[in-house]
Amino acid sequence: MSLPQFRLLRPRSVEEAVGYLATHASNIRVLAGGTDLIPSMRQKLFEPEYVLDVRRIAELQGIRPQRGVGVEIGVLTTLNAIEHSDFLRKHYPVLTEAAATVASPVLRNMGTIGGNICLDTRCLWYNQSLTWRKACGFCIKKNGDLCHVAPGGTKCWAVFSGDTPPALLCLNAEVEIASPSGARRLPLREFYTGIGDDYRKLQPNELLTRVFLPESSADYRGVYRKLRVRGSIDYPLAGVAVVVKRSDGHVSDARLALTAVNPAPVLVKGASAMLSGKTMTEELADKVGDLAARTAKPLTTSALTPEYRREMIRVFTRRAILAIANN
Amino acid sequence: MKKELIELNVNGRTHELAIEPSKLLLDALRQDLQLTGSKRGCDDSSCGACTVLVDGIPMLSCTMLAASCEGQEITTVEGVSEHGSLAAIQKAYGDWGGAQCGYCTPGFMMTVKHLLAVNANPTEEEVRSALSSNLCRCTGYSQMYQAIKAAIEAEQKAVPST
Ligand SMILES: Cc1cc2nc3c(=O)[nH]c(=O)nc-3n(C[C@H](O)[C@H](O)[C@H](O)COP(=O)(O)OP(=O)(O)OC[C@H]3O[C@@H](n4cnc5c(N)ncnc54)[C@H](O)[C@@H]3O)c2cc1C
Ligand code: FES
Ligand code: FES
Repeated sequence: MSLPQFRLLRPRSVEEAVGYLATHASNIRVLAGGTDLIPSMRQKLFEPEYVLDVRRIAELQGIRPQRGVGVEIGVLTTLNAIEHSDFLRKHYPVLTEAAATVASPVLRNMGTIGGNICLDTRCLWYNQSLTWRKACGFCIKKNGDLCHVAPGGTKCWAVFSGDTPPALLCLNAEVEIASPSGARRLPLREFYTGIGDDYRKLQPNELLTRVFLPESSADYRGVYRKLRVRGSIDYPLAGVAVVVKRSDGHVSDARLALTAVNPAPVLVKGASAMLSGKTMTEELADKVGDLAARTAKPLTTSALTPEYRREMIRVFTRRAILAIANN
Repeated sequence: MKKELIELNVNGRTHELAIEPSKLLLDALRQDLQLTGSKRGCDDSSCGACTVLVDGIPMLSCTMLAASCEGQEITTVEGVSEHGSLAAIQKAYGDWGGAQCGYCTPGFMMTVKHLLAVNANPTEEEVRSALSSNLCRCTGYSQMYQAIKAAIEAEQKAVPST
């Protein structure tokens, strides 16, 4: 299938890119690795007049440790580069582990961390060709007012299915956003709305430029567990990221986040308090698993049943905690 | 949409093409350059039959704009043979049944070429992991692992150790 027609813009600097975004804000789409946007454009989910290919902006590439502060990651850094960064593996292992599970090796050569954060929410009734969607009835997320997942409802439940955002949430990541009025910084946990058809707080004239991981979240032990049908290529159907810092055999700090079971990646409220100051036992792992399963709200947006995906959140949370405890 | 003039470097040759900006690299290769080795297997960016090397890195040509590749070196399966004869890995795929219908084979060739370029002697696990980007509906993959092993051995014999 060919793509809808558009004009292609290929800026070499953030300034030039933001200039284009300011001029064409009403009808433009940012293209990074393209592994989310191009398949969606084939399905006529997006038909912008302008496509802004940012791949040539060199300043948005690369992983730059900043002593005493943390690390800055350019949004165009590929998932392959993240997965193979010795610095990140040593200090922020939950992120390299999550990045290594995205799609397939070839897709990780193309896909960027910025694209993974901005990834469109997904649904079996949405990620389909125009003919398919038309035949079934257009849904709230695109062209219509039906919801096939929650019939009669008015809220879109399309599910956020990126693998690195739960890891980034556990690491207290912040993102930098450039726009015609300057740059702003936002904790990643405030970037998502939890609404399937309006899932991120990014205006059409804004560009994500950098991701920051603070030094205060370095050197936590971390684990990412992902449910999918095949061992490669597939999006997550449930995902759990856990980070834990220990001192004297006790948990001194911990965070837990989920993906692919809600319209946003979410930090599990209460998990830190439940774990902090405790020794990691099977009973405690069970309790945190129950809490995580209650936070997950999977629906029929994806393959496998919602019940199974919720149960796997419980199982993976438990296993992730015990993996850290026994390591 | 107006066509634009772009320069595409494919298999060591520079081509000037007049194409629409929305043209996918796969279509530019197949339709404009008649390089029909790269295949469209799925059209949803998941099968890997369209894999080409962009500056030596395997990427899906069905998921890239041709115009975005200006200034980069593209290698397709047509650029894999050496001096007009099959590369060791191509020959081994034939000998060991690594190809049946052959539709997925060009994509696998590019993935394996890259694997062996960065890692001349991969472990079985490294081979499996590298090949996990490509789908084959015929072979069941085992024959491919054998073919790759045979190609590595053939290469090692060809290069006399000093
Ligand atoms: C077969 C297949 C399987 C996949 N499996 C997984 C998986 O298992 N896990 C997973 O997480 N993902 C998966 N993906 C999705 C995708 O490969 C990754 O999420 C990837 O990181 C997306 O990055 P990209 O650079 O290719 O994004 P693009 O497609 O370039 O962009 C994605 C979205 O973000 C916007 N965007 C990108 N960069 C910026 C920026 N700097 N500023 C503002 N907006 C921006 C784009 O406009 C677009 O809306 C899969 C994709 C395919 C085709
Ligand atoms: S045709 Fe490109 S991945 Fe299948
Ligand atoms: S040989 Fe037929 S699909 Fe692989």
